[in-house]
Amino acid sequence: MSNTHIIGIFDSKSDLLAGIEGAQSKNFTIDEIYTPYPVMEAIDALKRKSRFTTAAFIYGAAAVVGVLSFLYWTSVIDWPINYGGKPTNAFPSFIIITLVLTILTITILSLFTFSIRARIYPGKKYILPDERATDDKFVILFNKATAGGGFEAISKTLKASGASEVYEKEL
Amino acid sequence: MYKAEVRGPLILGNKDYHQITSDIIAPIDNKTPGWWKVALAISLTMASFGIFALYYTVRYGLGTWAVNNSVAWGWEIINFVWWIGIGHAGTAFSIFLLILRQKWRTSINRAAEAMTVFAVGCAAIFPAIHMGRVWLAFYIFPYPNTRGPLWVNFNSPLFWDFIAISAYLLISASFWYFGMVPDFASIRDRAKTKLKKAIYGFLAFGWTGSTKEWLRYEGLSYVLGGIAAVLVVSVHSIVSTDFASSVIPGWHSTLFPPYFVVGAIFSGFGMVMTLMIVIRKYYHLEDYVTDSHLNAIAKILVFISLIMGTAYATEVFIAWYSGNPYEMFTFFHNRITGDYSFMFWAMVTCNAIIPQLMWSKKIRSNITALFIISLIINVGMWYERFNIVVTSLSKDYLPSSWTTYSPTWVEIGIYIGTIGIFTTGVLFFFRFVPMIAISEVKSVLKPTEITEKH
Repeated sequence: MSNTHIIGIFDSKSDLLAGIEGAQSKNFTIDEIYTPYPVMEAIDALKRKSRFTTAAFIYGAAAVVGVLSFLYWTSVIDWPINYGGKPTNAFPSFIIITLVLTILTITILSLFTFSIRARIYPGKKYILPDERATDDKFVILFNKATAGGGFEAISKTLKASGASEVYEKEL
Repeated sequence: MYKAEVRGPLILGNKDYHQITSDIIAPIDNKTPGWWKVALAISLTMASFGIFALYYTVRYGLGTWAVNNSVAWGWEIINFVWWIGIGHAGTAFSIFLLILRQKWRTSINRAAEAMTVFAVGCAAIFPAIHMGRVWLAFYIFPYPNTRGPLWVNFNSPLFWDFIAISAYLLISASFWYFGMVPDFASIRDRAKTKLKKAIYGFLAFGWTGSTKEWLRYEGLSYVLGGIAAVLVVSVHSIVSTDFASSVIPGWHSTLFPPYFVVGAIFSGFGMVMTLMIVIRKYYHLEDYVTDSHLNAIAKILVFISLIMGTAYATEVFIAWYSGNPYEMFTFFHNRITGDYSFMFWAMVTCNAIIPQLMWSKKIRSNITALFIISLIINVGMWYERFNIVVTSLSKDYLPSSWTTYSPTWVEIGIYIGTIGIFTTGVLFFFRFVPMIAISEVKSVLKPTEITEKH
């Protein structure tokens, strides 16, 4: 597949959104959008979905069961201690430590999930179409081979929506 | 939707996105200022003194401290609670204001989170050295061991504390770090030297700002934010149960958890105010940390100060109302009057009375006054912890055990050392990290935006 990409540069969020709308109305396939801050409308336009919160909930549920089982095992089975005749399965006093260990588990696993799913980790080789995307520009990226239109057609549509530059680049 | 302009513009000076990046990165790009070097020298001297005091403690044992059989917890626990309290505001700021979608947090959260990480790091030193044999601190981990199948006491607030603080440090540090990743990418892509590009490129973890990354980034922020909000409340509630689950007069109170949580947030917000005024003044970031931001913090401080005053009054009232002679003795003869009455009245004055000055708009818009009040709050909160820890222990049930306590140079040295470590960390933060969250500030530019076409 060709590595030639068409890159549209916008100066503002409103122009970017107009550009996305224009490109999608002409059935051009957008490969990716790069923005200096999170733009929810752009994420929605590309129909990106994340199951991050569901994953976090599953980690939490597993941690609650795991921690309570561990506490039961240490306090009742492995090494029961008689504190003034109190029951060894002292459930109410397990609640706080369960809560805190659950939070610790969710934190650690969520960080790994983020790193794996968003592919953000130390030493990563990255491709950034235009370096101004982390400063002040909003960038729409099309893969020329799969965009569904040529440079001229895409350029005309993006410029009509307010793009400040449109150019081709090998990535 | 109902919209009220109560807070004024969040960013002044008709900035565009590029200007924001340039302004915030300027302290990293510019030459190191002279005052920074002087401040670092002072901080490192303080930190070195503290490290020497720590060495002295480990070399010669806890006998170098003034703690005794009655006052077994001295400056170390006071300072532990004080630092943990300061460490609370960072997460409180970031998390609660994030969840409540308060956009004014964006200029302040980064510095508050940095403060949290350094303060919690300082706090963690104290329980570790309090164990006496710090090289055996790993005994507190629950792990299968060779000393018989003996587990740690999972029902002890001291163990909860260990886990809660470890979790809090991890979550605060990761929330802080991942918040900085997009900003490191901004620095990387503007860097002019290869070395700078390589260092910030490594720190940026390959961030590009694509929708895939932003989507997960937002997901991570809200998940960490949501669970850290619970943690903020639970960490300091647990610290308070270290005290409240004992039977010492003055400690054995159900008021303690909310009292400690609110007190922690109070001291933390005080420190945030101190830091933000310094950042604003020395790095000329008045357009980002506006009078309106300081005004908002001042209003929160007035409100929390009222809660603190109510808590102090409630403690005294309940001591009287309970009819318990030991409680009454502690409050009426060993706090309000007695050997430590100065500490009690200093606490009340600094925390409950002086902050009330901020009801006045004149005071709230006077930066010098706010700076002084923020320092007074931090001093007051230290007195509060002294008041709680020492007075109750010095005179408990047995008059034959009564004693007074004043610290040795070693204890004072460790405290000075932690202040040095904290300020060293803060100074490095000022110099090498964007002090304001660039991407987040850009996201709130729109309400005051003039450069965007609509």
